[in-house]
Parts: sequence; structure tokens; C-alpha cells
Amino acid sequence: MVKLKLGYPEDPDYQERLEEFEARIARGEKIEPGDWMPAEYRRQLIRMISQHAHSEWVGMLPEGAWITRAPSLRRKLILLAKVQDEAGHGQYLYHAAETLGITREEMVEALLSGKAKYSNIFNYPTLTWADVGIIGWLVDGMAIKNQTMLAQCSYGPYSRAMVRICAEETFHHKQGKEAVLLYARGSKKQRQMVQDALNRWWWPTLMMAGPHDTDSPHTPLLLRWGIKTKTNDQVRQEFLNEHVPELLEAGLTIPDPDLRYDEKTGNWIHGPIPWDDFWKVIHGEGPMNRHRLMARRRAHEEERWVREALEAYGKRRLAQAAD
Amino acid sequence: MLEAYLKDALVARITAWADDELILAQRLSEWVGHAPILEEDIAIANLAQDELGHTKVWLGLRQELDGADPDRLVYFRDPLEFQNAVLVELPKGDWAFTMVRQYLFDAYENLWLKEATQSAYAPLAEAASRLLKEERFHLKHSSLWVERLGQGTEESHRRAQEALETLFPYVRQLFQPLPGDEALVEAGVVPDLRALEAPYLEEVTAHLVRSGLRPPEGGYVPKSRQEHTEYLWSLLAEMQSVARWDPEAQAW
Amino acid sequence: MWGTEWPRFEVIKQDTKHSPPQMVGSVHAADLEHALLVARHVFVRRPAAYALFVAPAEAFFHVSQEGLKDLKPSRKEGGAEEPYWVFAKRSHRRSMVYGDLVGRFLAQGPEDAIAQALLQAQGVAFWAVPERLVAGTEPTEEVVESWFAPAKEKTYRLQSYYGLITAKGVENA
Repeated sequence: MVKLKLGYPEDPDYQERLEEFEARIARGEKIEPGDWMPAEYRRQLIRMISQHAHSEWVGMLPEGAWITRAPSLRRKLILLAKVQDEAGHGQYLYHAAETLGITREEMVEALLSGKAKYSNIFNYPTLTWADVGIIGWLVDGMAIKNQTMLAQCSYGPYSRAMVRICAEETFHHKQGKEAVLLYARGSKKQRQMVQDALNRWWWPTLMMAGPHDTDSPHTPLLLRWGIKTKTNDQVRQEFLNEHVPELLEAGLTIPDPDLRYDEKTGNWIHGPIPWDDFWKVIHGEGPMNRHRLMARRRAHEEERWVREALEAYGKRRLAQAAD
Repeated sequence: MLEAYLKDALVARITAWADDELILAQRLSEWVGHAPILEEDIAIANLAQDELGHTKVWLGLRQELDGADPDRLVYFRDPLEFQNAVLVELPKGDWAFTMVRQYLFDAYENLWLKEATQSAYAPLAEAASRLLKEERFHLKHSSLWVERLGQGTEESHRRAQEALETLFPYVRQLFQPLPGDEALVEAGVVPDLRALEAPYLEEVTAHLVRSGLRPPEGGYVPKSRQEHTEYLWSLLAEMQSVARWDPEAQAW
Repeated sequence: MWGTEWPRFEVIKQDTKHSPPQMVGSVHAADLEHALLVARHVFVRRPAAYALFVAPAEAFFHVSQEGLKDLKPSRKEGGAEEPYWVFAKRSHRRSMVYGDLVGRFLAQGPEDAIAQALLQAQGVAFWAVPERLVAGTEPTEEVVESWFAPAKEKTYRLQSYYGLITAKGVENA
């Protein structure tokens, strides 16, 4: 097992080691478990990685609800594989956090007790089949921008998990785009359904990138330590510049009357984001917060006996092996 | 090439296999996002995809025979037209019910698919050997679970035994011939399922007993694949709901 | 070690017959046999794999480049030896794997094994695990075919399956 070497500001050599540490990051080196790191670096990483892992795990629920209703064999296979990947991505991320000396059990407990956060976006309901397409194209589109950035992260295990996730996630984006574009030129009901989904998911998607840089207290430190390499607003801008032209070309209406193209910078500029909603949802008052946690707790509690059964079996095997 | 008189019989036989896989995949899908632990969530999503993939293989084979569109068959047939066995349509129950059912079904598939790789109808032989690869791994997974639940705790043993008591009588339905099977068996196109029943019962009984479980005697055995339970209607209503919601949709 | 999540096992995946086994992540499972099965479900959703190995996470000795100077590879005359597998992360380059197998070393302990591996490979992080604690898939055709080959047919999991998608339509890949 790895022994962590954590530095605290009160340590006599803290400044000196911090400078070495920051110089390593500036050179593009990866920090490995066992390398000296500020305790605050570890704390921020655990916070981010576990939140990210929880998001993948909880994120299975809104889309997972449609697996049994997917309207073709092909779409059903695709959705199964996608929701499965989300479990896989949660799994890789929990592992990355585990390298920092926290157990998955502790992280799961934090989620189930309501202490830990996960991405707000999963606190909205999926009302129709078109939501699955919009989530794939837009929500995953935003997630990919973030993940591509995090693949550059200075912490080796987080970066490795993100590289693996990015390699798999591209298909999530493509299948969503394929479905949305198909429905956008499909039957009347399909067109209405997909426009309605866009209307509901647009603002929550833009909020996924996080608060504006001016309201994001962690960002400067995260950038300095190479945990993040772009700010929230930069990630949001990249998302807009890629997706807005494609949505418009598909004949869909983006529910932002102030949206405009800025010739000078080449950027798509969005109107005011309804942040009040964001803060409400983040503080537990979103439409599905309770339901998401209830589903996770139910699985955890109702299937506790399964985990206990395998534990008993595993322990017996260990004891037999020791004899 | 297949003789014309065998075509209808083979279509019926393939449809029964496809429906078994489809309905089982639907039940497995219900677990996705709700399994006892993350790793098993990933595993059960694999099982669901594999079984659904097998549906596609069988319906693809049927399409070659009679041109029927696989998605039309899945989404627009009514409950009474489905040919699946009762075993696979029963509600998912708890993890013990799901794993015991999976084991009973995997053991059956391994057995008959192995025979079917010898089919005189080459496309069927090919499909069977493709599916068999995957089913071998499934059987490893589900037999491992049966053993661990049977020998885990008192509670897991009780749940696995209860599941077995409900499920076991239904496995016999899997070996019942369809009206056209006799001709197919005679022509060497499909294996004689009736002949596989005894080796099957012997094999699964041995593993169940090793796992500390007791296969029950007796129980109700459906008499044909026309028999279903009241659970099938709701399962299909959910599965077909989006596809049937918009009759004008050309594609999904 | 148990808790509600079962113990953790490191997973080692070998992509092809001639590529090195690589540490790819871990799984939580009840025992070695179970760990190997779920490792297949988790890490071989897509091609390709030739073999998988698992070993209890706590059996791994880990040291990063910074810690190498504190490595104490003691060897006693006539001391008991056993084979260790040593893995190394060789550079800071972008990667999805934790470490590649450097080799198998007869050593008196994990630090001794890493010291021997250092004669062959440099790196930014090293892991050593006693071979007796490693369980793996059989390198038979049947296992490769039933455990790993089916992933090749799940083409819908690959982005290349979707081709070029534009508002005008979808061009097949």
C-alpha cells in the first residue's frame, strides 16, 4: 500500500517543498501517490474526484430509466452500453480517489448521507425519450469538454482515469447527436419532442460548467496546481462554439433570446444564466434531488444482504486458504 | 439451403429462442443502475447487452428466412403472439431470483447451443457457435453467484432456495418441442431438446447441490409456449411504449 | 478491509499475446475468482484483451520516483526468495494505464525486486507484488474466445460506428 507524504503550511520545510512541487507541475510532470504533496492538494483532489465519481454513478439513473423503453433494438443496446459506461467511469474515478488513501466505502457513505455533492444536472427529470438524445449530445458534450481538460490534470491517477474515460465517452456524444438530428427532421411528434427536450436541458447544461470565474473561489488554486487547466467560463465557451452552430443548422431553436455571435472574438455569447435555479438545486431543492438519493440508498440497503453473503463466503475462503 | 417445408417450422423455433433472449434482456435491464455493487451493475448491463445481441442474431436469421423486420417483431407484436418461456418473463425479484434464473437459463443455453453448432443449416450452426462463446462466460458468472449465495449467509441461502423453488418447475418448459420441431430434428436442423432435458437436470442438480441448494420436486409446468403469466402484458407495454407512441415516426 | 464495498483487487490486463501486462485499475470483489470475473466485465467492454490478472490491492508495494532514494532493498545471505512481478510507470506521458510489467524477479522482498528492476528500467513509479498472490485467466483459446473475443462484436460501443453526423444526415463509417 502507498504511504502518502503530505505537507502542511506549518511544516518547517513547507515553502521550499511547495516551490519544488509547483516547479514539477509547471514542467508538466505528473504527481504520483507517494510523492510529496500539500495536504490541501490531496483534499481538493478527493473533493473533485469523488464528486465526479458520484456524478457518474447517480448519472446512470435519469437515462437508465429509459433502457426498458428504448424504441429500437439498436437504441436499446446503445443506451445499455452508455449507462454501463457511466458505471464504469464512476468505477475508474473511485479508484483514482482511492490512491489518495480514502476508501470507496467512505465516499459512498458520504454520498448516501447527503454530505457529498454530485453534478446538479442529474437532479432534473427525463420526461421523454428525446431527453436521452439531448443528454448524450449536450450534457455529455459539456462533460467531454471538462474531461478533456482534466485528462491533462497534474495528478497521475486522475489523469489516467480521464484519458480512459475520454476514449470511451466520445461514442456517448455521437449517439446523442445522431438521435437528436434524426428526430429534428423526423415526424411532427418527434420534432416537438426533441425541441421540448432542448428547451428543458439547455440552461442546466450551460450551468454544468460551474459558476462564472468571478464566483468560483477554488479556481485560482486549482489552476496553479494543474488540477484544472481551464476556467469554468473557458470550458463553457468551448461548448457553445461547438454546439450552437450545429443545433441551429439542425433547425432547432435555442431557448436564449439574447444568444448572439460575436464577430470580433468568434465566440457565441449567451444571455444571462438563471443562477438562482442553480443554487437552489445545488442546495437540495431541485426537482429530483430526493429521488436520486432515494434510489441510491434503496439499492444500498435492500441489497446489503448480497454484499454480506459474499463477504461471509470470501472470509470463509480466506480462512480455508490459511489452513 | 433449407427445404421449403421446414421454413415455417424453423421460423417458429427461431422466434421462440429470440423471444426468450429478448424478454430476459428486458428483465436484466431493469437492474441497470440498481445492482448491489458498482462492479455487478457493469456486469448485469453486459448480460443484458449480450442477451439482446442474441435476440438480434436470431431475428436476423429469421429475416433471412421470411423477411420479417426485427424491430417490427419486437415492438409491434401483441402479447399473445410472444413465444417466450414463462421462466424469463417473471418479475426480476431480488438478486437471488435474478442470479438463480440466469444460472438455470445459461446452463440450458450452453447445452443446446453446443448441439446446435452441428446444425445442418449452416447459418444456424454459425450463429450457435458465436453465441456459445458468450454463453460460456455467462455460465461462469452465474454459477459462481449461485455457489456464493447458496453458501454465503443464512439469508442468502434462504433467498436462493426460495427463488429456486419458484423457478425450477419452469425450466422444463424450455425443453418442450414446438409443433414443427420434429421435422426440424429429423432433418438435423435443430437439436432434439427433449433428449437434452435429462443431462440438463443432472448437470444443474449437481451444481445446485454442491452450492447447498435443493431443487424442488413437482410444481406447475406450462404446457406450451402459448402460456404466459399476467406479467408479460406490463413488460411489453413498457418496452413498446415509445415505439408505439408515434405511428408516423419512420425511424428511431 | 471488508466494509460494504468488499476488498479491492488490482487488475492487470494484457492486450495481446505479445504486449506487456499493464496495471489498468482495480475492482472490488469478494474473492480472487470473483475479482477476475468482474475485472472482465469492467475492463474488457471493448477490445482487446488476451489475458487478465488480479491480486489483492494490499499485496502491492508501491514507490514513486521521489521515494526511490528511501528504498531499502536488503538482501540476506541465503535468505528466502520468491518471484515478484514488478511494474513501472516509465514517463509522465499521457496514458490510461498505471504501469507496465518490467519483469519477474526472484527477490527477498518487494524492495529487493524493485531494486533489481531498476537495473532494467527507469520510471516515475513502481509496484511489486508476489507472484503467488496473482490469479489469472488461462491462456487457452477457449478462454480467450469466451472471455475476450465477444467485445469485438459490440461495435456500437465504438465512436467509429457512428460515422460523420451532420444535420443533413448520417454518413456511415
